[in-house]
Order: sequence, then C-alpha cells, then structure tokens
Amino acid sequence: MLTLRRLLQPTRHVAAHCDLPCGIYDPEQARIEAESCLRIIEKHDASEDPLFKGRCIHIKEERAELVKHHLDVLWHDYFKPEHLEAHPDLHDVFWQATKQASKVKQTLDVQAAKDLLAAIDRIDEIWKATGGPEKTRVQ
Amino acid sequence: MRTGAGFGLGFVLGLAVAWALGRLLRDLDAVVVDGRSMAPALEPGDRLLVESWTYRRRAPRPGEIVLAGDPRTPRRELVKRVAALQDDRVALRGDARLSTDSRIFGPLPVSAIRWRAIVRYWPIERAAWLSR
Repeated sequence: MLTLRRLLQPTRHVAAHCDLPCGIYDPEQARIEAESCLRIIEKHDASEDPLFKGRCIHIKEERAELVKHHLDVLWHDYFKPEHLEAHPDLHDVFWQATKQASKVKQTLDVQAAKDLLAAIDRIDEIWKATGGPEKTRVQ
Repeated sequence: MRTGAGFGLGFVLGLAVAWALGRLLRDLDAVVVDGRSMAPALEPGDRLLVESWTYRRRAPRPGEIVLAGDPRTPRRELVKRVAALQDDRVALRGDARLSTDSRIFGPLPVSAIRWRAIVRYWPIERAAWLSR
C-alpha cells in the first residue's frame, strides 16, 4: 500500500498551457488612441504657443506608438488562421493600418489621422464578423 | 527445512517480480494539471496517471492525451491532446478555445512524446479512463 500511495503522489506538474489567457480584445482600444492623435493635431494647428505645440507633438507620437501596439496585439494574439481563411486580406489590412499609424506618428497631417481611423474601422468590421464582441469582451 | 532447489526457485521468482514491479513503476507516474487549456476534460488540480510503455511500441494516436516538453520553454512539460499525426510529426491541441499548442509552436517530432495519460484518479468523483 505504501508503494501504491507513492505511485499516486504526483511527482510533477504538467501545463495545460495558454499564454496569459486574458482573452480581452477590442479594436476600440487602438481607435481611442488614434482619435487622440487626430484631436492633438487639430489642437496643435490651432495653437500659437511653441511650448504647447512641442508637447502636442511629443504626446501625439506616444499615442501613435500605442495605436501600433494595440493593433499588433490584436493581430498576433486575437486573430487565428481560420480568421485569415475567411478574410484573406487580413494581413494586408493590418499592415496598411500599422503603416498608417507610423505616418501619423511622423507627421502633423490631419488627413493621415482620419485615414488611420478608417483603417482601424476596417479592422473593427473584421473583428465583429469573427464574433469578437461576444467572444472577447465581458458582456 | 527448505530444499536448496526450492529456495533457489523462490529467489529467482522474487527477483523476477521485483524486476517487473520496478520496471512497471518506472513506466508509471502521477502528475497534476496546471492551466485550463484542456478544459473541460482536464481541470487545474486534476491528477493523472501517466505511462510510458505504449509509445515505445507505437506512435501516438489522435485523441490521446499526452505529455510533451514545451518546445519554447524546455523546463515546462505540457499536457495536450494529439490532434493529428503526419509522417513522424505530431500536432498537439488543447481542448479549450484558448490554448497555446501546435497552432503556435508547430508539430513536434514523435520522439518528443513519451508519456500517455491513462486515468484521471483525482478528484475521485471525476475519476475516469482518459483513452478515447
């Protein structure tokens, strides 16, 4: 019986592993940062204060970087091969959107910021089509 | 008084039994599950009996629950289900929707899979055979 008990005593842990499965994703997160970029550019253009303009540029670059980060997380953590099958343009849509975020980071172009919002909205459509709102947000 | 021959036979038999038992015990082990990627079949804290004799004789089969080293983190041992076998590579998959498995790290060589889960013995009310 001693042997049986020893046999049944686990010797090691095995992992039914999942990389940090918080499972919460929403393109809205990227969109809010992108909206900040647009507003900051407008405020920059309306201001005469060089110090304020300098802060605008600095903060806009931070926000644009966050857009890229949130899009990247969606791209490699949420989207799966079966989503790519249903939406063959997925990779290109993400590539164009993150490129657009780089453009917003580099410039003070209002139209570039609006185009970024449109690119994120396209990702949002795909996310919704894959059942994202039901699967990856707390109801 | 035992005869010399009887004693010798008992000695040899005893040795054989001890050898077989030792062999059996080395091929049997108990493990405890961490993580949720095999839910609902396996829940965190479930205890499994695993054996390593089957895969010396044959390749893993789809549906079997196996242990394998995580190819990305050598110190971590994974428990997953065999999804498919192609040539000498095995694709592993978790039962749950959220799982880090061959979809992320690709199929593993057959030689990487030695242990097969046969029984969940704890919790006792969920005790069951795991072969499918």
